[in-house]
Amino acid sequence: MTHTATSRGLSPRAKFALGAFARYATIIGLLLMILAFSILSPRAFPTLYNFTNVLNQASLAMIISGGLTLAVIVGELDLSIGFAASMHGVLVTGLIVSNQLPIPVAILIVILLGALIGLVNGLIVTKLKVNSVIATLGVGTILTGLSFAYSAGVPITSGVPEAFLQVSLGRWLFGIPNNIIIMAVVLGALWVMVERTALGQEIQAVGGNPSAARLAGINVDRIKILGFVASGMCAALTGILLASRLGSGTTSAADPYLMTAFAAVFLGSATLRDGEFHVFGTFIGALIIAFGFNGLNIFGAPTYSQYIFQGAILIIAVGLSSLGRILSQR
Amino acid sequence: MAPPFLVARGIRKTYGGVQALKGVSLKLEAGEVHGLVGANGAGKSTLIRILAGLAHADSGDVVVDGSAVAIANPAQATDLGMNFIHQELAFIPGMTVLENIMLGLPKKTRFGMVDWKAIASEVEPVARRVGITAPLNAAVKDLSTAENWLINICRALIRKARLIVMDEPTASLSAVESEKLFKIIEDLRNSGVAILYVSHRLDEILRLCHRVTVFRDGNSVAVIQRQELTRPRLVEAIVGGAVEHPSHDKDYVRKEIVLSVEALSRLPKVRNVSFDLHQGEVLGIGGLVGAGRSELVRLIYGADRPDSGLMVLDGKAFAPKTPAQAVAAGLGLVPEERRADGLLLTKSVAFNLQLSNLMDIVRSPALPLIDYRRREALSEQIVRDLAIKTPSTETPVGLLSGGNQQKVVIGRWLLRAPKILILDEPTRGVDIGARADIHRLIRSLATRGMAVIVVSSEPDELPDLCDRVLVMAEGRIVKELTDMNITRNAIVEASYAFDGTQRSQS
Repeated sequence: MTHTATSRGLSPRAKFALGAFARYATIIGLLLMILAFSILSPRAFPTLYNFTNVLNQASLAMIISGGLTLAVIVGELDLSIGFAASMHGVLVTGLIVSNQLPIPVAILIVILLGALIGLVNGLIVTKLKVNSVIATLGVGTILTGLSFAYSAGVPITSGVPEAFLQVSLGRWLFGIPNNIIIMAVVLGALWVMVERTALGQEIQAVGGNPSAARLAGINVDRIKILGFVASGMCAALTGILLASRLGSGTTSAADPYLMTAFAAVFLGSATLRDGEFHVFGTFIGALIIAFGFNGLNIFGAPTYSQYIFQGAILIIAVGLSSLGRILSQR
Repeated sequence: MAPPFLVARGIRKTYGGVQALKGVSLKLEAGEVHGLVGANGAGKSTLIRILAGLAHADSGDVVVDGSAVAIANPAQATDLGMNFIHQELAFIPGMTVLENIMLGLPKKTRFGMVDWKAIASEVEPVARRVGITAPLNAAVKDLSTAENWLINICRALIRKARLIVMDEPTASLSAVESEKLFKIIEDLRNSGVAILYVSHRLDEILRLCHRVTVFRDGNSVAVIQRQELTRPRLVEAIVGGAVEHPSHDKDYVRKEIVLSVEALSRLPKVRNVSFDLHQGEVLGIGGLVGAGRSELVRLIYGADRPDSGLMVLDGKAFAPKTPAQAVAAGLGLVPEERRADGLLLTKSVAFNLQLSNLMDIVRSPALPLIDYRRREALSEQIVRDLAIKTPSTETPVGLLSGGNQQKVVIGRWLLRAPKILILDEPTRGVDIGARADIHRLIRSLATRGMAVIVVSSEPDELPDLCDRVLVMAEGRIVKELTDMNITRNAIVEASYAFDGTQRSQS
């Protein structure tokens, strides 16, 4: 029993290397995945057409994940987003088809409603002090009910104008799919807001240490509500784009985005930073999921494998980010 | 001769580029009370974490009873007979005293079920010996900090401790409680337990310790034997040279009133408090822990709401509902728990400095994008002005020592220049050098016209620093001291004058 203290712990250099690996693991994983698929399927996978397609498909998940990122940065969870997006899809279709509202007006109304739902979530959490998991699960369930009540459970498919389909399916700028452009604008705006503005510093402070933020004179409740509002608006946008892509307002259509968004956000927290949520990380996280799905599709893997992939990746993501934290603290 | 209980030699440890320990040594004999002193950031906590198995040394040896050991985790430290009582006591609040004492220990069972009765009869005598008066089935959350300490000591003894490490044991104990603790320490020593006593309170070190090891900047710089142990010798070793005592010219003349507090109450901690705060004044609030000082300050700062009473700020009614409103009205607070309430430890020094002053570093109010060059310049200036020891302004603030962290919290308010700055225990857990810096800083702020409130439990701190001192006891202001009357003794006397006599009426 004559160890020195060193033989047990890792050398500082090894720790640094491991920490760096943990921070870059998601990006390395993404690149390896792309490389592997390219080798395994050299004709179908590594094409501009396929990459554009993947990004186009992923844009909706990226938008809703970007919104969720804001909620988790301020230290809360928003479980209402998938249900909310489904309801927004039904509602926007209904407003256009049944109420004959002009498309821009219908979209605007639904996005404002998304903000309002975020506001309600935020008020319940900050003023009534209800745990955000419970609050948003409750609100989400109510929204599902409302959406069934509105549509009687029947998808709104007939009479959806072609112009509305073009919102998601169109390529209005330089032949780039609209989804990608909208996603880039939304994530870009969120990134600037969080990383480059005074408000962003407050958002990061509230998430990092609410007590210190409060005593530093920051209005913590306001910032938290803002996080929920951002999340709510992005959910609305994703719901609208999904309805446009599907050409119908279908209850529960956007529900699976909840899981995808959480996986993307937590994968993102393991990217470049040790367990800190950030918008760029979420983008990378959503990209990993999108390419993973795409690869599974190309190789004809059954649909259920997507669930297994998504669940596994969520756990790996959280594991990676806590590994990064553990290594940086030792 | 038996080998010493514990020898640590040449221990090195680096945290994220900061060298916390540069090869320290420590030798502990059985049955001695060994002092460990040093400025914050000197490496005391790091060494303790390594001994406790919470961190791993980069190099160096630990020898227990003559054979080298590797302490990979806390369980192994316990197996070696080492027990640690940290500043922040870790208990499960809803569980009973007995359950907490037995936490993590194998328990006697009867027919497969835990036999609490048998366990209690074993623990009971030990609990009484260390002075626990509460019943063993009381919930820990209902007990005082002092009793929590005793429970920890009891836990250590049940685990057959041969060494108990106490980190700032009296930081939140009253004088009477501390006295009890000292008796227990002597009792433990007589029974052959070694005690490593870590404290900034030199009086206690002088009184209790047989030998003292002094750390400075990650080195063990001196081992002082009992016969050579004096305050000046200790201070010199800690600071590495003679300290100048900050004495200020008390040229303060009472200027106009900035803040008036009228009959402010929030029961049971704050009762009918009234005072005026003047421009350019350093007002001390003294008294014992639990006298209601922090609670009073929280009312003024809008962190809590008063039951009754009113405040007037600059001639206008002032009733902040949130700290944000108080800050907007020109107040600033340096909270007591700087790590929990003052800082974002993983964020950079610059981030933490600018937190209350964000609109000053944006390109324009209409487009509030951060101007990083300006942020950097302002932060650099504060780091220089306050002599904050940090590799850069982008270093995570959690890697700095306590004194430097405190300077960051104070620096935040310098950037904002509030009318009133409140500092709650500004030098708690801060080393002597940084303490002098912080005191100088407070004086210079007052000279520039800021009104400063300093809350302190250390009666030594206020006389040098303050123009006026209010002493609180049991939620009331019981004494106002000015000029030459501000002395350590006067503060202590007033703090205790009220003790106990009013409690029955509350």
